[in-house]
Amino acid sequence: MLSVLAQITWKQWRQHRLRTALTLLGIALGVAVFFGVRTANLTLLSSLTTTIEKLAGKATLQITGGESGFPEAVWETVKDTPGVRVAQPVIEVIGNTAFADQSSLMIVGVDMLGDRELREYEFDETTTEIADPLVALAQPDSILISRTFADKHNLKDGDKLPLFTSQGRKEFTVRGIFKPQGMGEVFDGQIAVMDVFNAQFVFGRGKNIDRIDLMNEPEVDVLALRQKLRERLPAGVEIDRPASRGTGIEKAISAMSIGATIASFIALLVGVFIIFNTFSISVNQRWKEIGVLRALGVERGNVQRMFLGEAVLMGVIGSALGIFLGYFLAIGAERMLSQIATQLFSQVSTQQPPVFRWDFAVTAFVIGVLSSLIGALMPARGASRLNPILALHNIETRQQEDILGKTRLIAGVVLVIVSMGLIGFAPAKVGMNVQFGYAALLLFGMVLLLPKLTQWIARLLRPLMDRFFGSEGVLAVDTMIQSPRRTSATVGALMVGLMFVFATAAYVRSYQTTVSGWMDRIVNCDLFVAASDQARSRTYHFSEELSLRIAALPGIKRIENVRILFPTYADDSIGMVALDFDGWFERVKNVVEQADENEAREKMVAGEGVMVARNFVERYHLTTGDRLKLATPTVPFDMPIVGVIEDYTSEKGAVFLDRKLYKKYWNDSSVDMIEINLHPGTDRATVKTEVQRLVRGEHRAFVYTNQEYKKWIMDLINGFFALSYMQMAVSIIIAALGIVNALMISVAERKRELGVLRAIGGLRSQIRKMILLEAAAIAIVGVLIGAIAGFLNTWFIVRTMAMMVGGWTIPFSFSPVMVLIALPLAIGIALLAAWLPARKAVNTSVVEAIGYE
Amino acid sequence: MIQLENVSREYGDGKVVYALDHVSLLIAKGERVAVMGPSGSGKSTLLNLVCGLDEPTSGEVKIDGTNIASLDDDRRTRLRREKIGMVFQTFNLLSTLTAQENVALPLRLNGSSKKEADSRAAAMLDKVGLGARVTHRPDQMSGGERQRIAIARALIFQPPVLLADEPTGNLDSKTGEEILALMDGLHREFNTTILMVTHNEEAAEHCDRVIRLRDGKIVSSTTAKEHTTKQ
Repeated sequence: MLSVLAQITWKQWRQHRLRTALTLLGIALGVAVFFGVRTANLTLLSSLTTTIEKLAGKATLQITGGESGFPEAVWETVKDTPGVRVAQPVIEVIGNTAFADQSSLMIVGVDMLGDRELREYEFDETTTEIADPLVALAQPDSILISRTFADKHNLKDGDKLPLFTSQGRKEFTVRGIFKPQGMGEVFDGQIAVMDVFNAQFVFGRGKNIDRIDLMNEPEVDVLALRQKLRERLPAGVEIDRPASRGTGIEKAISAMSIGATIASFIALLVGVFIIFNTFSISVNQRWKEIGVLRALGVERGNVQRMFLGEAVLMGVIGSALGIFLGYFLAIGAERMLSQIATQLFSQVSTQQPPVFRWDFAVTAFVIGVLSSLIGALMPARGASRLNPILALHNIETRQQEDILGKTRLIAGVVLVIVSMGLIGFAPAKVGMNVQFGYAALLLFGMVLLLPKLTQWIARLLRPLMDRFFGSEGVLAVDTMIQSPRRTSATVGALMVGLMFVFATAAYVRSYQTTVSGWMDRIVNCDLFVAASDQARSRTYHFSEELSLRIAALPGIKRIENVRILFPTYADDSIGMVALDFDGWFERVKNVVEQADENEAREKMVAGEGVMVARNFVERYHLTTGDRLKLATPTVPFDMPIVGVIEDYTSEKGAVFLDRKLYKKYWNDSSVDMIEINLHPGTDRATVKTEVQRLVRGEHRAFVYTNQEYKKWIMDLINGFFALSYMQMAVSIIIAALGIVNALMISVAERKRELGVLRAIGGLRSQIRKMILLEAAAIAIVGVLIGAIAGFLNTWFIVRTMAMMVGGWTIPFSFSPVMVLIALPLAIGIALLAAWLPARKAVNTSVVEAIGYE
Repeated sequence: MIQLENVSREYGDGKVVYALDHVSLLIAKGERVAVMGPSGSGKSTLLNLVCGLDEPTSGEVKIDGTNIASLDDDRRTRLRREKIGMVFQTFNLLSTLTAQENVALPLRLNGSSKKEADSRAAAMLDKVGLGARVTHRPDQMSGGERQRIAIARALIFQPPVLLADEPTGNLDSKTGEEILALMDGLHREFNTTILMVTHNEEAAEHCDRVIRLRDGKIVSSTTAKEHTTKQ
């Protein structure tokens, strides 16, 4: 029997090709985003790991010391450890050339005498005139560059390559060009090699090195050697196999991955609505056919199975298509993620094709098919319950399911209230998955309320439509009111997409407002000099010497050297800010929480304690007086917390300590930012010009006045939210597809109804106007319900997500402006989506339409 | 009131099939005419041509002296809205609208306010015996009641012409008889010209004249009395 039913389904697909294609596209896009985002994430991680491996060469272990590096003495200890065959120090910097474009260049400092045992350098023999380019590195101005970089800047052996260093602008001489293979492929080939000790000097590492790459003796077990080294080295240095260093990177970019995953689920959810809509309409269109089948002896179960089988088949085809599309989507998404990873997390990747993982594909496939089944479940149930006698009798006898019933309304209200209560009052320690459950409850409640809300808003719209568009406007709204199921499915697709857009936009806005207020209280220096156009650079810093030269300029009262880095604490990458706290307390007042500010100041300046960010104490359940232990490259750091301050440096929280204390424990005197305080009455612009003159051509420095600095920070925040904007764009595209799909199908479904309207005297122009107005009304209702859902979801993001991901308390703020912006956009999309079907509908023969079943 | 002059309607590209073959017919104002004939004889085509949903290949169809083929689509639609009421075998009601809303629909399309349209629809429903069921949807009503709604909708403008396509075709004989009686009553009240396609001999007996079609041609035109006698 099922084969006959399959044949009927196949004929339906052939007859309704557009409906079938749009539905398949709905599933395919949902699956594509889901699969594409996960694949892009994986590809990014893989390319970051590949970079590490390419740079590691034959090294079996790598020793790192966080961003500050570690003292050279560690190298001595490693070299003397039995079982170590080769141990080579490495400095790694993402610097900038002093060419006009100031292009980025990865500079790797290696010890030319021993490095060949670890890394193979394949030199471009056609251009190399030097017998051994590595030996040439012994000359302090030598540098080797990749063929890719050489070609880009038209450089050859012997040419000068100017670079910005911590010691100012330095000119290096190209003494070898290596092929774009292996290490030469890293950072898209923008890579150079120089002597490690020269790099250590010019890039302000002092007596620190960034990394040791080592190779064990063949007879020694790597893990045993690792254990031996662990016992000998300070706790602040990490010893890992190159391949496993990717785990740390994964943690660093985790916030980015969470956002991308949420967006992909939203895409799938919209897909469910599209399927629901398609099958609801399909059941309506096939009303008589179902009656005939039932009359011919097809059982209820088999009718249901026919529709569910169709859903599975659509899920299978749509998901397969989605995985195919997702693979290509991953290429674009990976590029964007890679850019953000480089800019914000200073993580360098090597371009590679997307990684295809079968387990990802199978998961996406199963989720796609399940989504399709979920979407078809209710319509299939409805189809199986049709009364065959009534169905055969005539077409008007459609059973209306109770989707506006009280039970549903009460259940929806209860779910929304319960979810809001949980968001507002449930403890944070329940974990991320449970907290996402609150959002799921909220969404489910909204879905239950959808038909009623649609009806209520449509009723509110009615007088307006009457006033502005006459009887066609009223008829359009009435059609919506009287077909809550059909309308709700379209509105639902819009609601889910827009809810995400509105809530994300509201969160971004709230976050910006909060940070802006915080900056007004804390950031009150006159001028700022930064070493990077991002908030900071992981590898490139100023030297204290530059600070001293700036401090000597006229009009400057005091400078504060700031070092920002991200050490490991409790397996997380937290923020750490080291600065001159004496000066800081001079200009910042009434900001210390949970302690007396004067006492906190005394202890901070004396180097007898640390302050921590408010989100840090929330995250790690600490309080003033507790001791904070950090692993350092020298000796263990163990200090009391003497105060808590509001701060937004890191979503994992940040630790603040005096610069003297930092230099002592981390053996690092480099500077990321120089904060300048001027004598009263000194003109900021004049001093800014003086500072710019001082650094021009010598340092890659970014000088901002207070106002410019705040704007710059806000721009950086916007950059961080670029991913959110991408997610919003995906949601809008899928919601738009939802509208297009639903309206095209809806108009096709109403062929007979529109034919009746024409038969009883409706003009073509009236029918067209009515369809377009209905589309516009659906868009308005969708935007308004999306705004309600977005409003509630913002509460979730602010209360739960912000606290969960960042431990931040962000005030609730929801701007109606974005709803007003979304309104014409949604109406425009709806009108476009309805235009073609409306044209087709009015041109269809009335006789054919009335006979259409 | 209704005049067909040498009207033909052809279908097909290669081999031409005449749905109506040079038919001429004159129906006077207030006259009730039943069109009978086997399936494929051209009954529905005749009806579609008279209401302007279809166009003749040749000849003229005039309603109240107006050749409807000469009108553009909008004017033809307006003429249909105001001068022709239509009742279908399958009722063709909008399932999502209540009885009152279905009946008010032509008025609303004509620009009447909802209040006025609802009031007139309620009055018309009262006339067809459904005054108490104005808020019910078609799926909550019997076949006979649905056809009454369709008749009320057709007559909401009190059109001079009522076209009925098998109005009792989907109804049991008792309900069918009630519908025919209702149409008789409304005919008396409004003096509507009725052109009714039917297979039902009893329905034909409610008309003044019975026309028989076969292969697109009128093969007989008799008074109802003659028709009954022949039976």
